[in-house]
Amino acid sequence: MERREGANARIRMLTPYERAEEEIKKTLPEEKVLFFLPSDMSLQGEFTKGWLAVTDKELIYLKDKECEEDQRLEIISKLSMDSLSNVKAVMLVGGGQLEAEIDGELTVLVRYSSGLQPRYSQLERYLTRVIDGEQVASIPDIEESTCSKCGRVFPDESRICPNCINKFKVLLRLLSILKPYISLMVGTLAIFWILTGIRLVMPQLQRLLIDDLLRAGKKDLNLLLLYVGAMAAGRVISVGLTIIRGRLMVKLSNNLSRDLRNMVYAKIQALSLSFISQKKTGDLMNRVTGDTNTIRSFLERHAVEWINEGLIFIGVVIILLISDWRLAILVLLPAPFVVLYSKMIWDRVRSMQRYERKLWDKSNSILQDTLSGARVVKAFGQEEREVDRFKTSAYDFAKATARNEKLFNTLYPTLGFVMGLGNFFVMYFGGKLVWGNEMKLGELVQFTAYASMIYGPLQYLSFIPRWFTSAMTAAERIFEVIDEEPDVKDAIDPVRLPRIRGEVSFDDVTFGYQKHEPVLKDINLNVQPGEMIGLVGHSGAGKSTLINLLNRFYDVDEGSITIDGVDIQQISQNELRSQIGVVLQETFLFSGTVWENIAYSKPGAKADEIIRAAKIANAHDFIMRFSDGYDTKVGERGQRLSGGERQRIAIARAILHNPRILILDEATSSVDTQTEKQIQEALGRLIQNRTTFAIAHRLSTLRNATRLLVLEKGKMVELGTHEELIKARGTYFKLVMAQREMSRIRWIDG
Amino acid sequence: MEIGEDKKTQIDIDEQGELEEAVTEGLAEYVDVVYLEPAKTSFYRTPGGVIALKLEDKTYPRVNLHRAFPFSLGDKYISVREGSGQEIGIITDLDDFDEKARGILKEELERRYFTPEILCINSVKSEFGYSYWEVETDRGHRRFTVKGRGDSVIPIDEVRYLIMDMDGNRFEISDIRKLDRKSKKYLEGMI
Repeated sequence: MERREGANARIRMLTPYERAEEEIKKTLPEEKVLFFLPSDMSLQGEFTKGWLAVTDKELIYLKDKECEEDQRLEIISKLSMDSLSNVKAVMLVGGGQLEAEIDGELTVLVRYSSGLQPRYSQLERYLTRVIDGEQVASIPDIEESTCSKCGRVFPDESRICPNCINKFKVLLRLLSILKPYISLMVGTLAIFWILTGIRLVMPQLQRLLIDDLLRAGKKDLNLLLLYVGAMAAGRVISVGLTIIRGRLMVKLSNNLSRDLRNMVYAKIQALSLSFISQKKTGDLMNRVTGDTNTIRSFLERHAVEWINEGLIFIGVVIILLISDWRLAILVLLPAPFVVLYSKMIWDRVRSMQRYERKLWDKSNSILQDTLSGARVVKAFGQEEREVDRFKTSAYDFAKATARNEKLFNTLYPTLGFVMGLGNFFVMYFGGKLVWGNEMKLGELVQFTAYASMIYGPLQYLSFIPRWFTSAMTAAERIFEVIDEEPDVKDAIDPVRLPRIRGEVSFDDVTFGYQKHEPVLKDINLNVQPGEMIGLVGHSGAGKSTLINLLNRFYDVDEGSITIDGVDIQQISQNELRSQIGVVLQETFLFSGTVWENIAYSKPGAKADEIIRAAKIANAHDFIMRFSDGYDTKVGERGQRLSGGERQRIAIARAILHNPRILILDEATSSVDTQTEKQIQEALGRLIQNRTTFAIAHRLSTLRNATRLLVLEKGKMVELGTHEELIKARGTYFKLVMAQREMSRIRWIDG
Repeated sequence: MEIGEDKKTQIDIDEQGELEEAVTEGLAEYVDVVYLEPAKTSFYRTPGGVIALKLEDKTYPRVNLHRAFPFSLGDKYISVREGSGQEIGIITDLDDFDEKARGILKEELERRYFTPEILCINSVKSEFGYSYWEVETDRGHRRFTVKGRGDSVIPIDEVRYLIMDMDGNRFEISDIRKLDRKSKKYLEGMI
């Protein structure tokens, strides 16, 4: 939605929204625009600039008025809201269309390109609710994926535009993290300046040696030794300092990136689940590892270096201008060309390398495919074809590499030549000056020495903006995480609840991951200590959401959840969760030993506690069959555990944890009957004397439940014992019947 | 979607016998590939702008056309589906139909697989991992943004390319050889 905000002050182009509003106000004064979105395609599929405005009474299609300067929009067609039904935003390939039944006739209303699909889906939901007669208050904005300032796309689902961030502000903030290392930084900077100084002084010594000693014809051996000695000493010092500088830089950058990484990691752990589940795991991992690395390498290689190179460049240019401004201009003349030329070469080389890289990946993936699919290849006798396929890709790669290397080896030396071009002029004109006694030989040598010093820094500096931008973007992405406020906050003065009894009650709880779309509506439930509540409903009915709320991974939008009469928002999250145990649908084991995995809920648990928990969970026997017993490694490189074994380890974990409230999420799925029996037995022991919430798609697993809560589209539809609900012949009854049929069919098919 | 609906119908049927019948019938439908013969079908556009089908004595007020091999076989093997998603049958080749029906079907396919042809590339700018394109297409002027550099320019064959932008819009270059020099240079830079 485009808003009217910021319309004050300066004269500017009116936004399409404002133009539409104006037009509608003029022609239809009673109506108010509630929803406004572009339709960038005509019904015939030509790109156009059309707009769809939705008022409280009508849908209005507008278009730019042709051949007019006054920015007016024209109303092309109108449609009364009363005649509409069954509105759908249908997603097609590469676009979509809004359809509706107008007085029963299915009609295509507008077409739009793919990018607008989310907004039209939102419109569909909105219109459906309006047509159903629901009161729809506000329409939330859809988050823009492009920068409002420059229109560039935010990379990697962040909200940071690499073009528009205030890079220097970010740099300052980055430097503020460097505070503990201030002495280290000052030290490195000092070394940099000394090194720069030495580099700038060396040609001076050269000149003095030639002009004062060699050319003057004085045969003073001591003075010669002194000059040569000074030059040698300068070299030695600069080598030594370079070594020290390198070591300091590595230390500094590593410390900083370590600090950053720890900061981000700690922050991610502290953030609520909603933040973590919004981002992709890969993206978060990238911020902890990739972004901190980018910053590290920038600090290590470039942060101080570019100041240094910049100083050298300025220093040399000044010295050159002072020595002889005419020659200086000759040297500097090719500079812009050199910068452009080197940029061009590097761009070319980079795009070639990218192509090469792609072919390399392709050839690699063939290799990986055929190795991991070796059985299939052999079974179908396709070895020869695979060999041919690999040959082709290897040939392509070799060809590309050869071409790239050839080109690079041709271009790169020419760059050196172009950089040295100025020197020929200097030699020629400088030589003439020396003949004319306008310049001493030493001065000329010194001059050429300085002249050769400007192109290195110049080339280097031309790359700095790119490095700087990428490092600052990375830093900003890290700061984005660090600055994130957790949605679920601890109360300032939490109520202490060291040992809860387990009375749980939901009072008028309403919640949606997006506030305008409630997933749970008006849930009322009172659970006595020790009761087991089975949660039943289709997927998407809100069962898992209910559990998420009880764990306080999210806060309710309306109503409250209390445990022993205390609102869970008043209990500290740590204390709350330490008394809630979870056995999840997909049992997650960390890589480590069986022991460590069971003891995860209670670090430092004693051996006999572990064994006891494993015994109760029916896990002890299979663990003892492993040759390494409880020290058996599980996870990626360890012992492979079956689904049933993993579940029993998770149950042992929960038993050791000894929580007052237990959550079982479809704890038994896809295991054989024998294992299921064992798991059921273990669960039976686990739930004793605990308030339990259990989600199961297979209703037979809920036979232990005291009461069942049936959810449908986020609403509570039934609550009662199995027998009561069967008698009622409602939703639960239908579910049970359907499942019986399903298992019968499966049995016949199998 | 389809599974959800199946479940619903199953739940609605209380009698066990009925349910069993419904299931076997469903299975039989899955096994047979129904080919739509031009003689027995009649496609037409409704006043509302959607395609309807009269198949023998049955009328489908709204059908959708899905290409089975959108890249390799284009207008051959087109699945004709009901509004609910159920397949009615398969058209083997559009060319088997008379001109009028072919016109309607082609138009509908073009609508569903909206893929403007790029006639000329005015500029391509790469920045921060995205490239910003400005092109002239047979459907008019267009700007779009492509994620990454090369991965979104997909070669279909030697000369044909498909470009997918970050929103899922598609653009086609049916013959790279027919592009002017500047456009070709821009495109080559992105492959």
